[in-house]
Amino acid sequence: MELGQLLHQMVFDYTLRTIMLGCGLLGLANGALGALALLRRQSLIGDSLSHAALPGVCVAFLLAGESKDPLVLLIGAGASAWLGSLLASAITQNTRIKDDAAQGIILATFFGTGYVLLSLIQGRAGAGQAGLDKFLFGSAASLIERDVQTIAALSALALGLMVLFYKEFKLLTFDPEFLASMGFPRRRLDALLTTLIVIVVVVGLQIVGVILMVAMLIAPAAAARQWTNRLGAMIGISMAIGAFSGVAGALASALEANTPTGPAVVIALTLAMLLSFIFGAERGLLWTWIRSRRSRRRALAQGADRAFAAGD
Amino acid sequence: MASDIPTLAINDLTVAYREKPVLWDIDLEVMPGALMGIIGPNGAGKSTLIKAILGLVKPASGEVRIFGKPYREQRQLVGYVPQRSSVDWDFPTSALDVVMMGMYGKLGWVRRPGKAERERALECLDQVGMTAFAERQISQLSGGQQQRVFLARALAQDAQLYLMDEPFVGVDATTEQAILGLLRRLQGQGKTVLVVHHDLETVSSAFDQVAILNVQLIASGTTAETLTPENLRKAYGARMLTRLELPTG
Repeated sequence: MELGQLLHQMVFDYTLRTIMLGCGLLGLANGALGALALLRRQSLIGDSLSHAALPGVCVAFLLAGESKDPLVLLIGAGASAWLGSLLASAITQNTRIKDDAAQGIILATFFGTGYVLLSLIQGRAGAGQAGLDKFLFGSAASLIERDVQTIAALSALALGLMVLFYKEFKLLTFDPEFLASMGFPRRRLDALLTTLIVIVVVVGLQIVGVILMVAMLIAPAAAARQWTNRLGAMIGISMAIGAFSGVAGALASALEANTPTGPAVVIALTLAMLLSFIFGAERGLLWTWIRSRRSRRRALAQGADRAFAAGD
Repeated sequence: MASDIPTLAINDLTVAYREKPVLWDIDLEVMPGALMGIIGPNGAGKSTLIKAILGLVKPASGEVRIFGKPYREQRQLVGYVPQRSSVDWDFPTSALDVVMMGMYGKLGWVRRPGKAERERALECLDQVGMTAFAERQISQLSGGQQQRVFLARALAQDAQLYLMDEPFVGVDATTEQAILGLLRRLQGQGKTVLVVHHDLETVSSAFDQVAILNVQLIASGTTAETLTPENLRKAYGARMLTRLELPTG
């Protein structure tokens, strides 16, 4: 497709515009909360949460009389993801199994159960059109307006609460004991932040899919960290990268039939990360290399000066 | 505040992790204006004592009172300097920003620090000689400078009682002098300061009072009377003591 034609469609095609909007918002919300998840060293949680959501989607579909209402499916997904995260911390607290292993166990168990349920639903006569398989790799093209409205509302809710409690979340991430010593309820704030992460992860499932959702949460933040040493700026850049990748994935999926959105989003994210790791202004490899070369040269020059001064 | 009310009163405090007691039946009173070192071997429960005062660990029994009331009513009167190693210094933020975190408690929910907080934070950085580093990313500071940022954050809490966990660990001579000077200044202002300390050689020069801890409180009082070979032997064991070559007095 020609570029002019593409731009024309982006502006005037209602369906495409709606889809891009939904994916862009999703990217914004994931970029923002992903920054905190990354700094809390909870990157793996994004992965286990999204996988743990799959059985919830299937159960909600069945319980609600084969409903495809996005809100019903998302509530099921969210409940299941939360249950998974609670079980993971219960395993860590009551056994000698470490957190990463607990997350792995939950991820595999829930995803396996979800996949079995999904196959059963898809295989049933008459239910073949359930379309739940889009939760695996995501499909922006299949979004209807109601989906986009739900995505927009929940993304805005999560973003809004994060902005509201920005100060508290920042200190919770940097120094939770100090936060608690000043009387802020550490556990409740922790639960709220986890809930917000659950929301943005679950909202993205039909677009990006269970399997690659973690990339949407963590990759923008990891890329943004290369450009700045300020949390506010990091979150802003992360949101921009998230939105860009979301829109790029939506375009690829909408314009080329059968392109799953998740992988398209991940390709866009990979590009953003690659550029950031090389050219990132604060930590990019290129600048780090130039800086270290410069200081080495300075050290050598000083050494030479000293040798000259001392050398008689 | 009437000076006969102790700044800090600990009664029958026992803390246990799972089954194992970490602190056993601690009774301690600290009067206003005291500058007290808390010493004891590794695993003696020094950090736990501070965390129990701050309500960060739940005691199995006993109570802590600050100026006669429970901690949760007196939070605004207490400042805290955690161990430097307890946070990730790679966090994307500046020294000034960390100091402003000390004012979050007084700001309360949702309200963000503004211009007044910024200026107050700069004053606190000035008191520890760190003004020049205000905008510096915290990972680019030396260990001693990071420690001073933590102290400035506690100063920003504008407290009556300061609890400091190993502020002298791994710091340079400049920082050590800066901290010692700050402790004296705080004492001069009538504040009460409790410092978890590990270096026995500097205890008597840094602190007027000392509490010797090893799960139980071995002894407490003025440094001159309390820091005796006998008390130290009780806390550290005889073998340890011969190697330490204590300053007599």
